Amino acid sequence: MAIQIGYFPGCSLHSSAKEYNDSIKASFGDLGIELKEIPDWNCCGATAAHSLNEALALALPARNLAMAEQEGLSLFAPCSACYHRFLLTNRKLCASEELLLEVNELIAPLDYKGSTEVKNILDILVEDVGVKKIKESVKRPLKGLRLVSYYGCLLTRVPHGQASDDQENPVYMDMVVEALGAEPVPWPSKMDCCGASLNITEEAIVCRLSSHILDNAQAVTAGAVVTSCTLCQMNLDLMQSGTKPEYNHPANLPVFYISELLALALGHDFPQGHWKKHFVDPRGVLEKLGLT
Amino acid sequence: MKPSERIQVSDGSVIDPGFTQKVIQLTGEEVMTCFQCLKCTNGCPLAPEMDVPPNKAIRYVQLGMRDAALAADSIWICATCYTCSVRCPNDIDIAHVMDTLRRLAYQSQGDDTPKAHIVHFHELFLDSLKQYGRVNETKLLARYELKEGRFLKDAKLGMKMFFMGKMSIFPEKVQNKEQIKKIFDRASKRKG
Repeated sequence: MAIQIGYFPGCSLHSSAKEYNDSIKASFGDLGIELKEIPDWNCCGATAAHSLNEALALALPARNLAMAEQEGLSLFAPCSACYHRFLLTNRKLCASEELLLEVNELIAPLDYKGSTEVKNILDILVEDVGVKKIKESVKRPLKGLRLVSYYGCLLTRVPHGQASDDQENPVYMDMVVEALGAEPVPWPSKMDCCGASLNITEEAIVCRLSSHILDNAQAVTAGAVVTSCTLCQMNLDLMQSGTKPEYNHPANLPVFYISELLALALGHDFPQGHWKKHFVDPRGVLEKLGLT
Repeated sequence: MKPSERIQVSDGSVIDPGFTQKVIQLTGEEVMTCFQCLKCTNGCPLAPEMDVPPNKAIRYVQLGMRDAALAADSIWICATCYTCSVRCPNDIDIAHVMDTLRRLAYQSQGDDTPKAHIVHFHELFLDSLKQYGRVNETKLLARYELKEGRFLKDAKLGMKMFFMGKMSIFPEKVQNKEQIKKIFDRASKRKG
């Protein structure tokens, strides 16, 4: 029987990270996951809300958590930044009845009770589906593809508590990569920060941070980078785009979403135009390995 | 000495013990347990760009040096990557303290900081969210670039992303916009 999961795409999966949304929708059904979109979901508030207004930073995720609860669903946020906001909000609200009461006043008439489970994409793939089932479902093993798994900051760095995966040396993405038939390559930058939303306000910082990550991917002769975060994907891809004089990193490494590789390995082909959403077009690498 | 008494020290800066208490109360973090091991700053990816690295920001809080803490550029540069928070041997969520300093700075001085452009970006982001319930990246970026006078600089990138199909022109909206507006109204009354 299919596992029903509440789906929170978030703003970026409907615009700059459409390819993440498309590939999740293409592949999850094959693994027995039924995604039910949280009705009328709103933006989690992101960095802006927690930087300027804590009440908003709690209330905006809480509205979605409450709506998921009403439907009896968990909440799956593919974007690591959204996921982190939901996880932190949920833990804070579950730890303090007083705070829960205050936040419920902000989102009234909704009334959150604290029962929604928050999940990221690797929680689902490794814990709910399991690598064994993924391996069995693979129709087109990604043989010969040397991948560095780029986890970024927000998937596992949970203050005052445990994340599902290790906080300093996570392995879930590598496990999935291996199950898909590709080769997970050890490297030192799996948890390094790309600079995230500073790419709009402090370009030079993001260039320094993201370029260092690409340097390290090159140093281990990776064939491509795989990630599960929309900001990580954007920054690493953008640094190689040549759209500005500063964005000229020579690595020429495609930056995949984990769900894109999952869909490919499960035998799906993407419609024309899908790969054009990447600055570094991955088709060269895929064709060379006979994967398209 | 009463805890709320402010002391002026020889270099002209003010020590305000009430500030320490305020940050502790707002964050719930045990900032007084910091013993300056510097794990936070050693691991901080943004430390090279910071005027006041995380360990120093915590020290300012401990000492009640409100003005020095809130004037730091670093509180705006912090990418909230949580490296410091998960490495602190005393389990202080330092990223949460930085976040709280940001909000206190915003409440007292608005965009009066050399990092005003970052404040503007956050404001425009929340503006878009308040209007639609979701954030339209295209409109947000265009408004930000216009405000900061750098529209032409990023035009090539914007066009490229548009033709890649990564930008949506028409904003997505939640159906219950009234509820989003109410959340904003109620939250703004709470003063952050």
